[in-house]
Amino acid sequence: MSHALHRHGTTEQLQIDYTFYARASRFVNRDGCGPKLRKILAIALSEPNLVNYGSSQAGKSYEAGLKPEEYAATLDKAYGVAGCFSDKETVRSFLKNLKEADTGISIVISGLIDEIVKIGKELDIKPHTAFLSLGVHGKRSLLPEDEVQQVTTMCGHGMVGAKLTKVVMDRVKRGKITPEKGAHILAQPCPCGIFNTNRCRTILEECKKEAAR
Amino acid sequence: MKIDPEKCIACLECVDFCPMNCIAEKDSGVEIDQDECVECGVCLHVGVCPTDALYRPEEVNHYPRAIRAEFSDPGVWHPSTNQGGRGTEEMKTNDVTGRFRRGEFGMALEFGRPGTGARMSDLEKVLQVLVKMDVELETNNAVFAFLEEPITGKVKPEFRNEKVLSAILEFKIREDQLEEIVRQLQPVLAEVDTVVSWGLASRFAEDGTLPVRTQLAALGLPARPNAKINMGMGRPIVEQ
Repeated sequence: MSHALHRHGTTEQLQIDYTFYARASRFVNRDGCGPKLRKILAIALSEPNLVNYGSSQAGKSYEAGLKPEEYAATLDKAYGVAGCFSDKETVRSFLKNLKEADTGISIVISGLIDEIVKIGKELDIKPHTAFLSLGVHGKRSLLPEDEVQQVTTMCGHGMVGAKLTKVVMDRVKRGKITPEKGAHILAQPCPCGIFNTNRCRTILEECKKEAAR
Repeated sequence: MKIDPEKCIACLECVDFCPMNCIAEKDSGVEIDQDECVECGVCLHVGVCPTDALYRPEEVNHYPRAIRAEFSDPGVWHPSTNQGGRGTEEMKTNDVTGRFRRGEFGMALEFGRPGTGARMSDLEKVLQVLVKMDVELETNNAVFAFLEEPITGKVKPEFRNEKVLSAILEFKIREDQLEEIVRQLQPVLAEVDTVVSWGLASRFAEDGTLPVRTQLAALGLPARPNAKINMGMGRPIVEQ
């Protein structure tokens, strides 16, 4: 899953957008990884500022009603745990606890490179490999507006469509629904739980303000 | 995906959720454009239909159409790779697999992302160039099961017109090839009939920096400020 790569936005906009993915390798440590994944899930759930979580194996995210115990029960037949945060302090706390737990499962954090590297340095964690985004190429005329891409790219599997995003943005602008409700609706199609509803709410609030000007 | 006309009450609740925008009101009912539908299942999974009229018919589980759900619905696993999603473990587990070592870069070209979808034939233009280049194609990617053999860059004819939410070509290059590969790929990508998201995987240097960011900027292809970072917490770790 290059799922968490290519999230659209400026450095400023991405300050509130971090995802995590704990992933066992089918070539190394996938067999019997369930208890370790459950441990990682428990660490994530202990973070008070965890925004969302989910899994394609479970078929839904926290925002779509996935309960922690339901999620945990799927992990004997899965190979990863995913979710998202909106602040660096939570990323730091999560990594600190994971380091102490020392599960041996690979951990991927997505977000601003310099911020993540800095947190790693503070915790004496040495980042191993980066997956960089070199942008969108090809027929770029097919892309929707910038603000729409900021929302849709938070589900790298492409489950949150441009049409739904535009419809929700329009309802928010007209005061039909709150930005919070709009973010909740937009999170429904993304089962992996890395759709950041906090960031989405911020984007929708900005749309509303823009429309009022 | 299909809609049972006997159950559908044309409330249109499902229409906005389709990422491919292929559900529409037609005559007195609602229909799904079967050529454009990628079988992602979003309309079904979000549970907005009040009468359970949406369903995934049995015939979509047979090839060639089965490829649509495999590359579009992350809950459907690829039989060839025994995992879901579109790509491989790539750098996510690189700390324990050592897939990309220092002196090497991984590359991923994801066709149809973000949000446009792709026909499998969209991959061919680029793949035909890649097979002639000195790159190591990632054969663990599910795309490989649908290519003609021997590998010439052609997709098997029965899959060429199948539409998916996205599909990824993954390969590995040597560090000294970066400029040449970028120069050769840029014009080919510009000719593709859909969008392509381009990613590059690199080991961090011993001092914790990513020198490739400077190299990419010098090539006029700067990396975005955000990335996926494998934190090196897997065990046993591959240090090279």
